[in-house]
Amino acid sequence: MLELLEVTKDYPNRPHAVDAVTMRLEAGVLGLLGPNGAGKSSLMRIAATVTRPTRGRVLFEGTDVVARPDVLRRTLGYLPQDFGVHPHLTAREFLSYLAAAKGLSRRSARERVPQLLELVNLTGAAKRPLGGYSGGMLRRVGIAQALLADPRVLIVDEPTAGLDPQERVRFRTLLSDLASDRVVVLSTHIVSDLETITDDVAVLAGGRLLHRGTLDRMLSGVAGQVWELSADPADVPRLQAGFRVTRLVRTPSGVRVRILASAPPDRRAEPAVPDLEDAYLGLVSAGVRS
Amino acid sequence: MILAVAVAGFRERRRRPAYAVVLLAAVGLGYLAVPAAGSRWTIVSLGGYRGVYDSAYTGTVCALAGALWLCVGGFYVVRTALAQDRATGVRELLAVSRMRSASYLAGTFLSNLLVLGSMAGALAVTAGLLQLARGESYAVSPVALLTPFVLFTLPVLAITAALAVFWETVPGLRSGFGNVAWFAVAVVGMIAAQSPTAPLGGLGTGPVAASLRDAMAARGLSSTEAAIGFMYLDEPPRTFGWSGLPVTADLVADRALLVLVAVVVAVLPALWFGRSSPVRSSGGPVRSAPADAGYADAAPIPYPRGAVRANRTFARLVAGEARSLLAGVSRWWWAVAAGLCAVTLAVPTPTVTALLLASWGWPVLVWSRLGLQGRDTGVDALLGAYPAGRARLLAEWVAGVAFTAALGAAALVRLGIAGDLGGVAAGAAAAAFVPAMALALGLVSGAPRLFQALYLTLWWCVVNGIAGLDYLGAVAGGPSPLVVAATAACLVATAYGAATARARRR
Repeated sequence: MLELLEVTKDYPNRPHAVDAVTMRLEAGVLGLLGPNGAGKSSLMRIAATVTRPTRGRVLFEGTDVVARPDVLRRTLGYLPQDFGVHPHLTAREFLSYLAAAKGLSRRSARERVPQLLELVNLTGAAKRPLGGYSGGMLRRVGIAQALLADPRVLIVDEPTAGLDPQERVRFRTLLSDLASDRVVVLSTHIVSDLETITDDVAVLAGGRLLHRGTLDRMLSGVAGQVWELSADPADVPRLQAGFRVTRLVRTPSGVRVRILASAPPDRRAEPAVPDLEDAYLGLVSAGVRS
Repeated sequence: MILAVAVAGFRERRRRPAYAVVLLAAVGLGYLAVPAAGSRWTIVSLGGYRGVYDSAYTGTVCALAGALWLCVGGFYVVRTALAQDRATGVRELLAVSRMRSASYLAGTFLSNLLVLGSMAGALAVTAGLLQLARGESYAVSPVALLTPFVLFTLPVLAITAALAVFWETVPGLRSGFGNVAWFAVAVVGMIAAQSPTAPLGGLGTGPVAASLRDAMAARGLSSTEAAIGFMYLDEPPRTFGWSGLPVTADLVADRALLVLVAVVVAVLPALWFGRSSPVRSSGGPVRSAPADAGYADAAPIPYPRGAVRANRTFARLVAGEARSLLAGVSRWWWAVAAGLCAVTLAVPTPTVTALLLASWGWPVLVWSRLGLQGRDTGVDALLGAYPAGRARLLAEWVAGVAFTAALGAAALVRLGIAGDLGGVAAGAAAAAFVPAMALALGLVSGAPRLFQALYLTLWWCVVNGIAGLDYLGAVAGGPSPLVVAATAACLVATAYGAATARARRR
């Protein structure tokens, strides 16, 4: 449905922010992981037609949407990481304006705006100016606007930032529901956000696509490479200098250290079951080194 | 610490696109100040004479022009330093540091002065180049060229930089109303500062005019007038030699005192300025968020599927743009606008055009939002992925035209009833022109102040009867409505070009 072919983005002060990324997206959720500055947001903006790639193509059902962005924009839902609102408009007025900008009919807009406000539980605040909304409420207005056109492609960048844990659960459930028949691209640097929502993960670092595949495949990449040991706090700097430490937990007897290494880092080290965070850190550190 | 605030502020502002526009404006000002030998335009009137374009004369006229116009216009360039710090969160960081309010204000003042000083620097370089370009004297004396900038321009710019800080610390002045208030204050102040008896040498016109008159008298010439502004002469001015203004200790002391006054004006608000309090620094109480019903606690709602698209949504887009343009405009603003309309309906017909001029001076702050609302609020981050960007831009302009026409409706109806169809056509063209100007200047400069300063200047020129700039048919002999409408079309095209270029840079 949506294809990114050899997509590259060079900024004047940051060449290769996205470096020859190729991806094919079908119905379902794709989780996009990567450290800060990995190029996730740039890639999302390119996929959402907000930014033009320096090189490469973006195809939506065969149409080049770099040349003809409106073909995708009509049926796209996009929630950027940072956005603003007209502070003096109410949520209802703001969404009605965006519905017109999206090209919805008057009747459809009249139906969908209250429905979506109800979906994100803002009906009670719908007639209040947005300038008085809290961060979480504004995020939900952002989610509602992304769903205005009942999009076939939904691109959401760090959508759970500012939502409390319960809200995050509810939003993830909504995304799972939507993904049954549409493309959903979800960017995050919170690894645990993805585990419950998708099996399809892409990892970016330094603008390059390091991994695209299932979570199991990602985990298999660090099988037999995760170790845990109890250490004296004074020993921790030495371990950090010599190994890739993925977790430190203070215990009454010292510090429980989790290490990523191809061989046991210490005679006290015991093998541990890898989790997604280990797999992610293993991939990213290998990608950065190469 | 003060220097760190000043340098950081200057660096931040010189990297904005508007800074390049400002420097270009300074170069343009130099070009106006030293016109070609055959030109009848002048900014220094000496009874039909001017000095030979050598370093002393070129430097002095450019310095005086800079003192006058960089003071009026430069204020708009620097007046948002404190607001920017607040918007970007820098102020919160500084609030928890050991820096005192007085140091912060002094640093901001210095930062403003660096921005304005760099404009004066661009003007000085332009003066030197124009001296060579005009070819009346090829002997460039850096001292003669730069001394007037140090003595006349910089002290006046210091006052401007200080007042910009002061304006931002006074609740009533830090809003858009402050921009309009500054224009009025600056116009009156500049007239007063040109008087020979102006305190501390005023703008510098007094001592310069006296010296020029002495030089003329020595050559048997006489002039009773000496003024700076932008004037048209019946004939190109004749020339005389002038060796420059003698620099006396009294003059230097007066100008140094002016700089000292500027520092006091900039630091004085430390008495009431609170860096960390959002209530005191925002100009109004902080509103609390409405009670949040709790997204997660609510019963799950099934996702509503299905959205129907329409072919025609332009009218709703215009309505949406108008709503976001006018949302937040205060009741007292509407009361004044309604009052002007009511008076227009009641006055005799010959006075109607004057009231139309008043009605179309009042909304300058509303117009100046055109082209900038999406960027300033952050809504553009969403709209970048929405279709029909061209239609949205057009809708924004049409909303501005409808708003302008509504404010001038009373006058246009009166003119129509009186059979003045030319007046109606001129008014209609102006209703298209003003929002187009706001939209284009907003998108090109990325800030509302360029439009505010230029439109008020244009409006002031029409108030003073300059027919060539009459965009609304208030002065006999002005441009035809077709020319104004064509200019509006060009400005809309410019706005579209600027919006497209901005989208491509993302």
